Amino acid sequence: MSDRITEESNSSETKELEQKQDKQKKEEEYEDEELPKLLLSDVQTLPSTPPSAVESNFAIYFALDFMKPRHDQYVYRHANGLCVIGLAPSHVAFKDEGGITSTDFNVGKSDRSGVKVTGKRKKNAQHFESNTALCKVSTKNDSYIVRCCVKGSLLEVNQQLIKQPELLNASADREGYIAIIMPKPVDWLKIKPSLVNLEEYKKLREVS
Amino acid sequence: MEQKAEEEISNAFPPSSFSSSDLKQLLHSLPSNALNHFFSLGVCVRCILRLFGIKGPIYASIDNGSVENPVDSTTSNETKLCNICLGILQFRFYDDKEKRIFQKDTAYDVALLIADMVRQDGYQFDSFSLEVSIPPLILQNEASLWSYMQSKYGSEPWFREKIHTGCVSIKDALKFSLINPLEKLLDCKSSLCPFRIRLTYTHTKASEGVAKCSDNGGSCKRRKTGESDSIGEGTLSSSVEDESFDFSKLFPKSENEPCNFSYNCSRTPFYFGGRYLKYSRNVSQTRWIIDDERMGEASVEEIIGIKVLQACGGDNYKFHAAGREDIDVRMLGPGRPFILEVQNTRLVPTEQFANDIEKMINKEENKLVRVNNLKLVGSDGWNLMREGEGEKQKQYAALVWTSRPLKDEDFQQVSSLKDLKVAQRTPIRVLHRRSPLEREKIIHWMKMETVAGSSQYFLLHLCTQAGTYIKEFVHGDLGRTHPSIGSILGCRAEILQLDVTDIKMECFLT
Repeated sequence: MSDRITEESNSSETKELEQKQDKQKKEEEYEDEELPKLLLSDVQTLPSTPPSAVESNFAIYFALDFMKPRHDQYVYRHANGLCVIGLAPSHVAFKDEGGITSTDFNVGKSDRSGVKVTGKRKKNAQHFESNTALCKVSTKNDSYIVRCCVKGSLLEVNQQLIKQPELLNASADREGYIAIIMPKPVDWLKIKPSLVNLEEYKKLREVS
Repeated sequence: MEQKAEEEISNAFPPSSFSSSDLKQLLHSLPSNALNHFFSLGVCVRCILRLFGIKGPIYASIDNGSVENPVDSTTSNETKLCNICLGILQFRFYDDKEKRIFQKDTAYDVALLIADMVRQDGYQFDSFSLEVSIPPLILQNEASLWSYMQSKYGSEPWFREKIHTGCVSIKDALKFSLINPLEKLLDCKSSLCPFRIRLTYTHTKASEGVAKCSDNGGSCKRRKTGESDSIGEGTLSSSVEDESFDFSKLFPKSENEPCNFSYNCSRTPFYFGGRYLKYSRNVSQTRWIIDDERMGEASVEEIIGIKVLQACGGDNYKFHAAGREDIDVRMLGPGRPFILEVQNTRLVPTEQFANDIEKMINKEENKLVRVNNLKLVGSDGWNLMREGEGEKQKQYAALVWTSRPLKDEDFQQVSSLKDLKVAQRTPIRVLHRRSPLEREKIIHWMKMETVAGSSQYFLLHLCTQAGTYIKEFVHGDLGRTHPSIGSILGCRAEILQLDVTDIKMECFLT
C-alpha cells in the first residue's frame, strides 16, 4: 500500500518538474524571440527628426516686445499648468556682439536664486506679477531685464546660468531656460490672449 | 478567549436534551439567598444563570414563555425588561426596519431571523463566525453588578469559588443561546472564519451611561478583542464596597427601553496576487479621470478588478501594485507584481478559480493587459511585495534618437558606465505635485543596440535603481537631470518610446 503512494507522489513530482522546465523554456524563447519583436514593433515609421521633448510635452507661446521693444521671451506651458520662461531667439540681447556674458538674479527686492521652495504645497514660493523682474542678462555693452510674463509663484530659477551664462547663447530654448513659474488657472487665462503661438511667432519675426 | 467559548458551544449537547424541569432543578441548586435577591431586583433568568457562571446549551433551550419564579412558581421575570441586559438575553429588541419592538420566546426564533437574512444575500459558506456588539452602558452594568456581588456576597464560600471562573459575559451568554440554533439552520459549524455574522445592539441612553464611567473609577473598561467571561477580577474601585449600596440607584427604572437590534453578514477580504503585463500605450495603470474625462482607453486595475469582482460576487476591489509606469509605457517581461483586494465576496474563491479568471482575462480580444501567476495570497503577500520596494532594480528598453550619427566609440563609452550616479531634480512634468528636490539615482548598467538602417536611432537597454525617471535621463529635462544620455554623448537626445522589460522582485513568479 505504502509503495503505491510513494510511486504516485513521485510521478506528480516529476510532472511538476516537467511543467517548470516547460515554463522556463517558454520564458527563454520569449526573451530571445518575442520580446525583441515587441520592442521594435513600431520601427518602420521612424521620422528622420522626431519632435523634441519640449515640443511633445509643452504648448509653446511667445511674449513679444514685453514692456520694451524686441524683448521677446518664450513661455512653455505644460499640461500640468507649470510655465517655463526663457529668452526667445529673436530677443534683442542676442544681437549684441559676443552674446550674453553674465546673468544676475539679484534684481528687484530680492535675489531670485536664493528662493527655497519646499514641499508639495510649494511653501515659501514668492508670488510675482507678470512684469516682475526675474533676472538681468548682460552683454558686452548692455544689460536687459527678463520678466515673468506670467503672474504666479516662482518655483525655481535656473541656477546653472550663474556659473554658465553661455548656456543662453548656445541653447536658450532648453538648458538656458530662465525660470519655472506656477500660475493659478485664472491668471493663465488672463494672460494667454496677449501671447502668440509658434506659427504666429514665425510669421511676425520672419524666422524659419 | 473567544475561540474557547465557541468551541465549548459547538461541542455541547443538542438543545432538545434540556427541559423546563431541568431548568427548575438547576435554579434550585443555586444559593437561594442570592438567587431570590437577584430575582426580586428584576434580573432575567439567563442573566441569573450567567451570574452564577453557568455555561452551555441551556441558554438556547429555555422558552421565555414557560419560565417560573423559583420562589413562588408564579409570574416570571420575563414579562419585565431585565435591568442588566436590557432585554438582550430575553430576546426583546427594537427593530429599526420594522419600526417596532419584537419579543421572541426562544433563541431559535431569533436564529430564524438571522438565518433568513444570511440566505437572502446568496453567500456561499461552510462555516460562520458570530460577532456581537453591545452598548457600553450594558458593559458598565455588568461591571457594577459584579462589584456589587463582591461587596454583598464576598465572604460566602460559593462566591469565593466563583472568583476563579467569574461570571459569564452577556456576549458569551448570547452566543450560548444562538450558536446551536444557527448551526442547525445554516447547516454548518461555527468557527473563526472569514464569513462573519454581526449582531449589533445599541441603546439611545448609551451616551448618558458612559458619563457615569468616572464614578466607578475606571471599572467600565470595555475590552475590544474577545469577550472575557470573568469580569472585573479584583480591579474595581473599593468605594462601592464601603457604602451601603443602593442597587436601584445603579439601574434606574426609567431605562425601560429595549435595545436597538440590527444584524448583517459579510466576509473579510480575499487577496489575489500576481503579475500584470501591459501591451498598450494608451492604458493607464489606475483609473485616471480629469474633468469628467477618462485619460486613455482603459486601466489595468479596472480590466483585472472588474473581472475578478464579477466572478466572485464582491462589493468592491482595491488594486495595489509594486510601483507604476506611465500610460504610454508598456510593461513587458515577467510583469509587475500586484495584489488585488476583493471585499465581501459572495462566493469563496479557490486556486482553480484564480486559474480560471487568469485565463479569462488573457483571452480578451483586445489584448491590452495580461495576467500571470494569479493566485490567492494571505497576509504574507503584502510583505513580499513591499519588502525592498525601494531597492529593487528595474530594467528598461528605450528607443532613443540622437542629433548626430553615432559611432562605435559612443556605444562602447555608454556600455562602460557602471553604477553611474545621476542627479535628478524633480521632473517638470511632476513638479506640480511633488516636492522640488534633487534625488540621486543609480544607473547600474547600459547597453545600446543598433536599429536596422539608422545611425541616429538606437535601442537603449538600461538597469536602474527604483525611482529613476528614465525619460528625463534620456532628454535631460532642460538640464535638470545630470548627467543625461545627451550630455554623455555630447549632443541632443530624445526618447520616442519606453518599455519596462523587467522588475527584479521575487514575488508572484510562479
